[in-house]
Amino acid sequence: MSENILVVGGGPAGLNAAVMLSELGVNVALVERDSFLGGNPKKFKYKFLFPDMQPADNVIGELIKKAEAGGGIKVYYSSEISDFKENGKKFDVTLKSADGSEKKTFDSVIVATGFEHFDPARDAKYSYQLFDDVIDIKDLERMMGENNFVRPSNGKPPKKIAFILCVGSRDRHVGNQYCSRVCCTVSVKQAIELREHFPDCEAYIFYMDIRTYGFFEDLYWQAMEEYDVQIVKGRIAEITSGPDNTVICKGEDTLLRGPFEIPFDMVVLASGMEGGPQSPEISSKLGIELDEHGFLKPENITLSPFKSNKPGIFLAGACTGPKAISDSITEGAAAAMNAYTYAVKNR
Amino acid sequence: MALEKQEQRPAAEKGEHIVARHLIEDDSIKEEKNLVIDGVDVSGRWNTFILSRVDSEFDRSFFREIKDTVVGSRINRCWQCGMCTASCTVTPLYRRFNPRAFIYMMQLGNLKELKKYIDVAWRCVGCYKCSQRCPKQVNPAEMMEALGLVIKKYFPEEVHSKLKVDEDVKKIYDDMIIGHGRLDLAKLHTSAMQKTGRTKELLGKIERDAIFKMAKDGRAFSILRLGKPHNWSRSKEAIENYLKNLNTIENGGTGV
Ligand SMILES: Cc1cc2nc3c(=O)[nH]c(=O)nc-3n(C[C@H](O)[C@H](O)[C@H](O)COP(=O)(O)OP(=O)(O)OC[C@H]3O[C@@H](n4cnc5c(N)ncnc54)[C@H](O)[C@@H]3O)c2cc1C
Ligand code: SF4
Ligand code: SF4
Ligand code: SF4
Repeated sequence: MSENILVVGGGPAGLNAAVMLSELGVNVALVERDSFLGGNPKKFKYKFLFPDMQPADNVIGELIKKAEAGGGIKVYYSSEISDFKENGKKFDVTLKSADGSEKKTFDSVIVATGFEHFDPARDAKYSYQLFDDVIDIKDLERMMGENNFVRPSNGKPPKKIAFILCVGSRDRHVGNQYCSRVCCTVSVKQAIELREHFPDCEAYIFYMDIRTYGFFEDLYWQAMEEYDVQIVKGRIAEITSGPDNTVICKGEDTLLRGPFEIPFDMVVLASGMEGGPQSPEISSKLGIELDEHGFLKPENITLSPFKSNKPGIFLAGACTGPKAISDSITEGAAAAMNAYTYAVKNR
Repeated sequence: MALEKQEQRPAAEKGEHIVARHLIEDDSIKEEKNLVIDGVDVSGRWNTFILSRVDSEFDRSFFREIKDTVVGSRINRCWQCGMCTASCTVTPLYRRFNPRAFIYMMQLGNLKELKKYIDVAWRCVGCYKCSQRCPKQVNPAEMMEALGLVIKKYFPEEVHSKLKVDEDVKKIYDDMIIGHGRLDLAKLHTSAMQKTGRTKELLGKIERDAIFKMAKDGRAFSILRLGKPHNWSRSKEAIENYLKNLNTIENGGTGV
């Protein structure tokens, strides 16, 4: 008899965990609360991925195809866990979907419930949703994914665009002190895409630090050296409306020493990643720990980042903190290995 | 080397022998009228010395001094993002008033640099917009108080000669701070638009839409709710009394 393992969340991390397990001959139940697989990259129609600008479909599409091919994976769309009980070393779980409820026993569980984008409307200084031309990086991903890359206010190509880093991250006022890790790289990537699309459009990035860590730095160099993207050091303190249908970014050029109020015809906020409502929900439902940042807490952040504090429940992807797709996929595989070992040991 | 300093020469003639004199600040030139080194009289053009233009130390003792004050206790938090300066009420009036830069100078103990700003350093109106924005909750508004203390302590004479009441700042202070206990943002916005000749936009479509949206999602109410500080009428009375006394003293010629 083969093992039964539950994977919660069908983003890059959960998908890869499910695919790896099915290759080991495990029966996988993949529970996804949305009606489709692929997680945030699919939801917001990411088109090209950093670091190498490969089509997102190469990665996400590939994983979805494998997961939906049948094999040992049963996907539960638009579903959630309605009841969760420990039963010795195993877990009794009720899965609820539109088709009704199903009760099953699993040998181990992988949680890959991912992240939510910070909602910039929560930080009033950025005037998100007050002015049509103030959008954020996920909106821009979606616009590019839908080939609808124009100024929302008038449907025309932008001439001068500003990226504002660290929106909803590294700010005590919004309650998020951590760095969201991907938004710098997403921003330089989008600046490149923008300049490629509209060579006449000037692109500026307002930064305090640019954290394109490791090899992501290549994109940052490319943005400056091949695409003339200009960086300006200073965090933006306020966005207001300007003349001729523009939006004004108010900040300080901390290198030149002095305030500026510069009109742009489009502003892109690099909003960060949050644990979302799903993290505390899953934490209380499964009885696993939440950390002080609102993400799920690994047993040991360095030694076993893919384990929860509870034996038999494993963690993968952005549910334990901001990270890139490659890290999420790696953790999916690590969690799969550990969930499998646990299941086999306690068979 | 024994240096026998004598009588300082007047600043106006300082460094008259230096080629490209305009490149060097007055403070960086040391020059005595008569100077004797090791018994040799080097009066004349040989006694002109230019201090190094390269900073050769960070003075942390100064940082610790500030950190020990109540108002300056969070000086170690500041990471120089510039949001305070960007939201400051005073900076647009006096570009040289720069809370972020002042905090940096204090962090590094750069008194030489701070000294150049004595005339503007005290101009904070205490609106706390910077503290409301600061992502590290440094409380820059109170750091400006720490700055005031520092300047008073280290440059008492300069403070006395350089500080003058300024009508613009006084007006903002009287109308808004004393009247409401805080700056009235709507009023500031309106006056800024008036000054830049953009009154028409106040009732333009974008502004109207924004007001409508803010009313709908509740943001407008959270701004209105800011209101006056608790029990402001009593603080207001106290400030007014204080100012009255101050005027009486000033008019009496005793100074403050
Ligand atoms: C704007 C932006 C652009 C990015 N671009 C890139 C890029 O180019 N390259 C790159 O490497 N990384 C990129 N990233 C990072 C990338 O999005 C994440 O690394 C990745 O999505 C994390 O995968 P995940 O599976 O852990 O989580 P998610 O993608 O968030 O997937 C989690 C899934 O779990 C589901 N779920 C949540 N709760 C439950 C529940 N209770 N029950 C059932 N299902 C649930 C969700 O519906 C979702 O489908 C970007 C991030 C942002 C913000
Ligand atoms: S990745 Fe960059 S934009 Fe995102 S929080 Fe970190 S420093 Fe800020
Ligand atoms: S409190 Fe002072 S430093 Fe801060 S914004 Fe107001 S005037 Fe500027
Ligand atoms: S806003 Fe805060 S952290 Fe940023 S420069 Fe000003 S005091 Fe420092």
